[in-house]
Amino acid sequence: MVTRALALLLPVLLLPAAAGAFSVTDQTGRPVTLDAPPRRIVSLVPSVTELVFAIGAQDALVGVTDFCDYPAAARQKPRVGGMVAPSLEALVALKPDLVVATTAGNREETVTQLERLRIPVYLVNPARVADVLDLISRLGALTGHEGAAAELAASLDMRIKAVLARVAALPRPRVLYVLWPEPLIVPGRGALVSELLALAGGDSVTADAAEPYPRYSLEAAVARAPDVIILASHGSGQGPLDRAKWERFTSLPAVKAGRLYTADGNLLHRYGPRVVDGLERLARLIHPEAFTGRGDLSGKGHR
Amino acid sequence: MSPRSRLTVLLTLLALAAGAVALGALFLGSAAVSARAVIAVLAGRGGGTGVADVVVLSLRLPRILAALLAGGALAVAGVGFQALTRNPLAEPSVLGVSSGAAFGVITAQVFGLRAGVLEALGLTAFAFCGALVAGIAVYVIASRAGGLPVHTLVLAGVIVGIFFSSAITVLISVVDFDRLGGVIHWLLGNLAPIPPAALAVFAAVAGLGFWLVLGQSRQLNLLALGEEGALQLGVDAERVKRRIFAGAALLTAVVVAFAGPIGFVGLIVPHALRMTLGPDNRVLVPAALLAGGVFLLAADTLARNLVAPAELSVGVITSLCGAPFFIYLLRARAARLGP
Repeated sequence: MVTRALALLLPVLLLPAAAGAFSVTDQTGRPVTLDAPPRRIVSLVPSVTELVFAIGAQDALVGVTDFCDYPAAARQKPRVGGMVAPSLEALVALKPDLVVATTAGNREETVTQLERLRIPVYLVNPARVADVLDLISRLGALTGHEGAAAELAASLDMRIKAVLARVAALPRPRVLYVLWPEPLIVPGRGALVSELLALAGGDSVTADAAEPYPRYSLEAAVARAPDVIILASHGSGQGPLDRAKWERFTSLPAVKAGRLYTADGNLLHRYGPRVVDGLERLARLIHPEAFTGRGDLSGKGHR
Repeated sequence: MSPRSRLTVLLTLLALAAGAVALGALFLGSAAVSARAVIAVLAGRGGGTGVADVVVLSLRLPRILAALLAGGALAVAGVGFQALTRNPLAEPSVLGVSSGAAFGVITAQVFGLRAGVLEALGLTAFAFCGALVAGIAVYVIASRAGGLPVHTLVLAGVIVGIFFSSAITVLISVVDFDRLGGVIHWLLGNLAPIPPAALAVFAAVAGLGFWLVLGQSRQLNLLALGEEGALQLGVDAERVKRRIFAGAALLTAVVVAFAGPIGFVGLIVPHALRMTLGPDNRVLVPAALLAGGVFLLAADTLARNLVAPAELSVGVITSLCGAPFFIYLLRARAARLGP
């Protein structure tokens, strides 16, 4: 009897260990299996770091990259190096139970090496603004902060819809967004900024380029007579904006109207929670007329 | 025909070719400007403010001039380095000067250091500093008690070049990608419409370098006999080498400052000319100035138009077109010299 009862129980006892206690599918569709919900996460992606802080799950974050510069508290976390070549030693030393990496910016080798070291990797591959909201709920589920994640996603979604409502009926100015001045690099098809420009009620003159971030012809950009030119600042904000390069073209509608603006690339190029701040600022630059009254889109007070 | 009138005919033909390619390039581009509109602008009937005017006069014309200048400068520097080192592999980047200049430019970008007074020349100063450091380093490493042995010079150049290339790689890996995103493209050559004042500086500095090399072209011919032979014919070999070194380094630095490091032009054009015109440096130096310009301009026109409205890096085109052309020339010569 006893042996029979044991024989019946045995599979039940063994099953959880064999299948893993915590099984999820990452954003690329790969299954990720952990023994338990992750308590020690290393983020190799600055936007993921921002999102983890935004949903209040930062206690589970034990390591970040050198480029994880926001919020300020992220700089206090132990660092594992850059995105392209993080230090595996530093990573292992942090004893992570999960590493979050991106398909755009991290290397495949890093992922392979981590898996060889039996460190599970959760891959993200956001391509559109909607993917940021998806990522928020995924990170909420991973860290057990579902409530805060749902709240954040809902509030971001509401703010996006508010921008859309304001600019929907307005004429769409032609916008040239400059990612890099020399050589000229612009957002093309599939770039996050291209989508943000469209959401903000603008018509990106370079959205037809086949590559997401092509090196672009200056004369093609000029010939499309942009009404607004937005120069992205990079990193510390000391990037080569090169306003003078554009101010020379006095016959351009944007220059004539004095609509040569700068924008913070960290808000607009990262799939983080601040992407909506970036969207609101873009909308204000492109459609100042829609934001003249006292509105609910102060652009301040949001994280 | 006397050698002198032969040279005149040759240079006239090359100048005509340069003019023809330049004229063609004025009509080609990713902006939809009709041939008629281009002619109207060139005839001064464009009105001065339309898109056609901006595209033709402010974008295409200065870029064409920059390509002619940069190509000519690189080819002359190539002739100089090849004659100086008596090494067919010599080209402007062999002395490490272009890597040094590139390092200077990238350092300026990393730290956001852009001289404000003369916007367009901000980076140039850094390029010159980088080129100067690299050039002097090569010179100091290679020079022996009053001499500058050729093999040591080439080796020193290669080593200094590797050092600066690695330093650039370090900067790119350490600095936030956001801040150096465009640098990888710049490293493959970047001809841009340079404002007139900066173009004048470009031309003046390149002119000085050209003058230095051209002035030594007769002595370079004698140097080809070997340094002892040249010495017997009354050539101050060290003085010639110093001048060629300075001139070619200057040419390389100014090109990197204004157009990024562009490869292959300084290797291909001098060789192609030497194979067709013979080894006389008095002919080669002025011919290289024109032919280098034509080659780089043609390459840049392709780079601007092949994937329009996107653009390729001009260095990709010079390498892609240059290598097969070079092989053709090698084989053609082998066939001529063959049994």
